[in-house]
Amino acid sequence: MDTQTALTQAQELLQQWTDSTAQPEAHRLDVKVSRENFKAAITAVKQAKWGYLAAITGLDVPATEEAEGQVEGLYQFCEGAAVLTIRVAAPYSEPYLPSICDLIPVATLYEREFIEMFGVFLEGTPNTERLLLADDWPVGVYPLRKSFTGFDSPDEA
Amino acid sequence: MEETKKFIVPIGPQHPALKEPGHFEFSVEGEIVTGVSIRLGYVHRGIEKGAENRSWVQSLYLFERVCGICSHVHATAFALGVEKLCNVSAPPRAQAIRTLVGELERIHSHMLWLGVAAHEGGFDTLFMYSWRDRETVMDLLEMLCGNRVNYSINLLGGVKFDIDHAQRDAILRGVDFLEERSHHYLKICTTDRTFLGRTRGVGTMTREQADEFGMVGPTGRASGNKRDVRIDAPYASYAEFPVKLVTAEAGDLMARFDVRIRELFESFRLIRLILDNLPQSELTARVPRRVPAGEVVSRVEAPRGELFYYIKSNGSDQPERVKVRTPSLCNWGSVTQTAVGSKLADMPMILSGIDPCFSCNDRLVNIQRGDNSQVWTWEDLRRYGIEYYR
Repeated sequence: MDTQTALTQAQELLQQWTDSTAQPEAHRLDVKVSRENFKAAITAVKQAKWGYLAAITGLDVPATEEAEGQVEGLYQFCEGAAVLTIRVAAPYSEPYLPSICDLIPVATLYEREFIEMFGVFLEGTPNTERLLLADDWPVGVYPLRKSFTGFDSPDEA
Repeated sequence: MEETKKFIVPIGPQHPALKEPGHFEFSVEGEIVTGVSIRLGYVHRGIEKGAENRSWVQSLYLFERVCGICSHVHATAFALGVEKLCNVSAPPRAQAIRTLVGELERIHSHMLWLGVAAHEGGFDTLFMYSWRDRETVMDLLEMLCGNRVNYSINLLGGVKFDIDHAQRDAILRGVDFLEERSHHYLKICTTDRTFLGRTRGVGTMTREQADEFGMVGPTGRASGNKRDVRIDAPYASYAEFPVKLVTAEAGDLMARFDVRIRELFESFRLIRLILDNLPQSELTARVPRRVPAGEVVSRVEAPRGELFYYIKSNGSDQPERVKVRTPSLCNWGSVTQTAVGSKLADMPMILSGIDPCFSCNDRLVNIQRGDNSQVWTWEDLRRYGIEYYR
């Protein structure tokens, strides 16, 4: 399957759940979906056996004057040279997203990293134990959020 | 009925397979593993976060230090991504040198793995020999760039070092020697009966499982999976110097030895090809200090499999976000699946079979707290470094 066919196929697969799409590079397709449709979109990709889950990238979008801050999840799938990104966001006030481990069991390590680094709660994920952060890392401090800028001194936190 | 109780054998965090830290809890029934859980992060240094308040150039050096074994591919993935954001491409000679060093690094990494895996299998003679021979490629890398690890050959927009005639000849001599030795290792790993006892039919993963678990690199290719970024999405100069796909069908540990050693021959062939056809051009292209806003995905084939970089720029002189997904993290998922049903005594071999690299997974700053601890700021470290070498 060549890159363009793969991307067209992905676009068709996700059509009914898509909020907006973008093609930032020739071999990439970004599809924005809402939280409600997110699981259905992942199911469609999985059932069509379109590529494999290459990464879950977290992205912190801090609050601005107009909009509430949110955490965005970028679920990147690769098929040959084609890269499909399913983008879904959760606001700080309700940082919940559904887990995809029931569909893609190996996502558990990626999800554990996403949870502890960004403070999103992935509902239904099988394991929420810490993967990377130290045992004595304070609860509720999410290092990859932009608001985290390090601890002030050795005595704090 | 009696309540079933799980018996858990903790392995690690000290040196479960390689001489690197990771913690595994195996639940067992007698000798047979029934479940695995993983805890990583013992060498997590916060590199992704660290990049967010360093310049693009500083970040290049930071990402080169994600991994001490495959440092060059990290820098290559980052440099290629940033160049794409700037709409600049490195000159052809620079791309060819990147590819060449990438293949030398693959040889060094595969031979290192061969030694470690042989050691885990109790075959220390093979371990000693393969590491002795690995010195050949380490010396070549040192000759090219002055370092045994962290070659620092990449710049944003090109490479630092050229290759002259004397170096070319030395590389060719080294490659000839290594090729002869690799034939010997291939023969041993596929015929030595004692060793086959530890590898044949152990930790088997079928093609379906490899696809399902999203396995990457030689570990996946040993199960017949056909993914190789160098072929699927050629970067640097893999389009001009194509590699041939190396796969095996069996999916067991022996197949993983087979695939990695045969990949060495592909690397030798490619190195000779590049040296014979090194394009003439400048070594660098100009990259602006401020990188235009945008997002890129940069994928390269590290010795352990697909290395995935997501880079976001907000138009400033520092990255907004860099995400690194290393091949080892992909392949851990497969270990947790194949371990179930295997013997506990086979675990070290199965763990090392994926060629795990712990510093690859672990990337966070650990700030020491407590009475006697000390926090060093960037400035303190810089000053300490300057004083140390004065």
